[in-house]
Amino acid sequence: MIESMNSLLAGETLLASGGVETVKNAINWVCQPHWFFVLSCGVTGVFLGGYRALTRPAVALFALIAFTIAYGLSAMDADFLSIIIKPDNVPITLMIYLFGFFIWLGFRQAAVNDENTEQGRPLIEAGSDDKVLVWPDLVYIELIAMVLCTVFIIVWAVVLRAPLEQPADPSLAPNPAKAPWYFLGLQELLVYFDPWIAGVLLPGLIVVGLIAVPYLDKNPRGNGYYTFKERKFAISMFMIGFVILWLVLIVFGTFLRGPNWNFFGPYEYWDVHRPAALLNINLSEIFWVQWLNQGIPTEGRWGLPHFVYRELPGIVVLLGYFFVLPVMLRVTVFKRMGDQIGLIRYSLLIMLFLWMALIPIKMVLRWGWNFKYIVGITEWFLNF
Amino acid sequence: MAVKEQIVKVWIEEGCIVCDACETAAPDVFDVQDETCEIRPDALKMEFTKPRTDSIVEAAEECPVDVIKFDVVSEEVADAALAAPSPAAAEAAPVASAPAPVAAAPSEPAPAAVAKSPVKSPAVSVAGAPDPAIQALLRAATARGGMAGRSRDEGGPEAREWSKKRADDLPPDARTSKVMQGTRGKDAGVTRRGLLAGSAAAIGWAAFGGTTMVSGVAFQRFLMPNVLEEPDPKIRVGTVSQYAQMVPGEVNEDYKPIGVWMIRTEGKLAALNIICTHLGCIPNWLANDRKFKCPCHGSGFYPDGINFEGPAPRPLERFKISLIDGTIVVDRSKKFQFEKGEWDNSDSYLSV
Repeated sequence: MIESMNSLLAGETLLASGGVETVKNAINWVCQPHWFFVLSCGVTGVFLGGYRALTRPAVALFALIAFTIAYGLSAMDADFLSIIIKPDNVPITLMIYLFGFFIWLGFRQAAVNDENTEQGRPLIEAGSDDKVLVWPDLVYIELIAMVLCTVFIIVWAVVLRAPLEQPADPSLAPNPAKAPWYFLGLQELLVYFDPWIAGVLLPGLIVVGLIAVPYLDKNPRGNGYYTFKERKFAISMFMIGFVILWLVLIVFGTFLRGPNWNFFGPYEYWDVHRPAALLNINLSEIFWVQWLNQGIPTEGRWGLPHFVYRELPGIVVLLGYFFVLPVMLRVTVFKRMGDQIGLIRYSLLIMLFLWMALIPIKMVLRWGWNFKYIVGITEWFLNF
Repeated sequence: MAVKEQIVKVWIEEGCIVCDACETAAPDVFDVQDETCEIRPDALKMEFTKPRTDSIVEAAEECPVDVIKFDVVSEEVADAALAAPSPAAAEAAPVASAPAPVAAAPSEPAPAAVAKSPVKSPAVSVAGAPDPAIQALLRAATARGGMAGRSRDEGGPEAREWSKKRADDLPPDARTSKVMQGTRGKDAGVTRRGLLAGSAAAIGWAAFGGTTMVSGVAFQRFLMPNVLEEPDPKIRVGTVSQYAQMVPGEVNEDYKPIGVWMIRTEGKLAALNIICTHLGCIPNWLANDRKFKCPCHGSGFYPDGINFEGPAPRPLERFKISLIDGTIVVDRSKKFQFEKGEWDNSDSYLSV
């Protein structure tokens, strides 16, 4: 409470001194995509490292209060307010709180369990028999949940006046044209990859990868009880894949993507005409023009079409990424795991891992260095 | 002389599953029909059932649904008759009273008659032998080469005799069967089950065939082009003088609703397709920034249609444009792509 009072007072002081704009500008600056992304990764890393201390109820409560105050103060900004009160975006606020709560809940129990294990005490789940019968217990609960959920959605739709927009006009797209909030992460991917990769291959890999998880990961630890210490790699991968590559990208799409699909700070006015330089360059241009000081090849060589010859550096990089890197990782970082799970499962795991890692790599390259495509063969719809 | 229980009346309650178990155990008493089991006419007399007490009790025990009921009377019999007492009957006796339905039998000669239900003896199951009902089911199922449950149409000669009489003249057990028979088809070869199965198959195949035919006919539709439903790809966009004022780099949005931007480049007038080459959104013309900007994923294009920012992999496409009787006609069915070098094609622009 005292901290929250202090922050309130601090906020008022800032208001009084006219420093509000400075704070807003600072936050806008931090919310540039590359900084925001790096910050998210950093926060996640710090959280995973210090989960035992950071999930203490007092710390969690403080974080909750601090975040709520920050969010509430942000709502005093007209531009931010216009984003969060848009009926489409109300679920985002709910999502942020809910995911924060559930992440905390899971890690809190993991922290207690890990400590119990170290000191030889029984797990939280020890001796508990919370099995219920499908009929009637589970079916009744599901029925009640279904009814309540329907009621909730109907009330929500009525209260928020679920937005139905004007009839579609094929010559007029809303600006920005946003996917439903839960697909904003996928829409974000479309900026960085060829549509069939971002829209078909990557979502397919997500689904296939999730199906494959039980076959790749046969480690029985953590079955039926919370733990982080025993499953660091698996849970960290989940945190990267879900929290950063799904939730953070949804937050990106909601708060930071404005008209013309440009990045805007959360307190920035969505100006349709704000100039934004997105002069992106391909790896082939960097290689042939900047490094070799010659023009981009227009003639094929060695029997290759000119566009394949042009993109050779990118093709080599990608082949190295997908076929040499796994071997290098196998004998270094993943040596122990590779020994444990065998060649086939290691190969599948590392492929899924590398595909997942490719997404943030590509994004950071785009934001930081205006990097467009590693391999840009438009002729074959192969823009990587 | 010894006292022994003798069956004086046997009947079948509702719920028979026509499993053939009873007929296998006592073929001269029970007659399993298609839908229920009947007592043969002979067995309606107590003189007939008394000597068959053991086999009837056995049949009742083996009945998996316990619908065989009987009345017994205790009588003194010759020792010879007791020489081989039925173990089943003896075992059944101690537990006979518990769940037995009260069988009112006013015509019983012996006032001491007790209703007796063929409760399965616990002694039998304790002995480790499988349930007699299961055994009987197995026996019945394998009887007659496994065809016991089928191939039975009209029962024995008695049943055929019954079928000639009126239902009211029949003994009660046969009466039900007679009434039930009335619900069947006239043709003796057609059973209700067979008719149902046959008609279900016929309906199923007819539905399948019909659906296949309809979808086959519908499929023909896809083999034909959609010519009639497609608007004329050729559109008139005015005269050259309309665009005379434009300077190179300017964009005319008058025909955006029908999918065309008229653009001016150095010495040329061209018609630009408004579909973004990334994923098919409609970009906006930002006059101040002098660029086309797609709201979906941020692709940007110069006024001449060349892509320069965002994810769009190639420039916007240009339509065929021609001058017919002083009117500019844009043919949206013919596209020219920059990356294929088609913008130099003289059909892709008008010289102005």
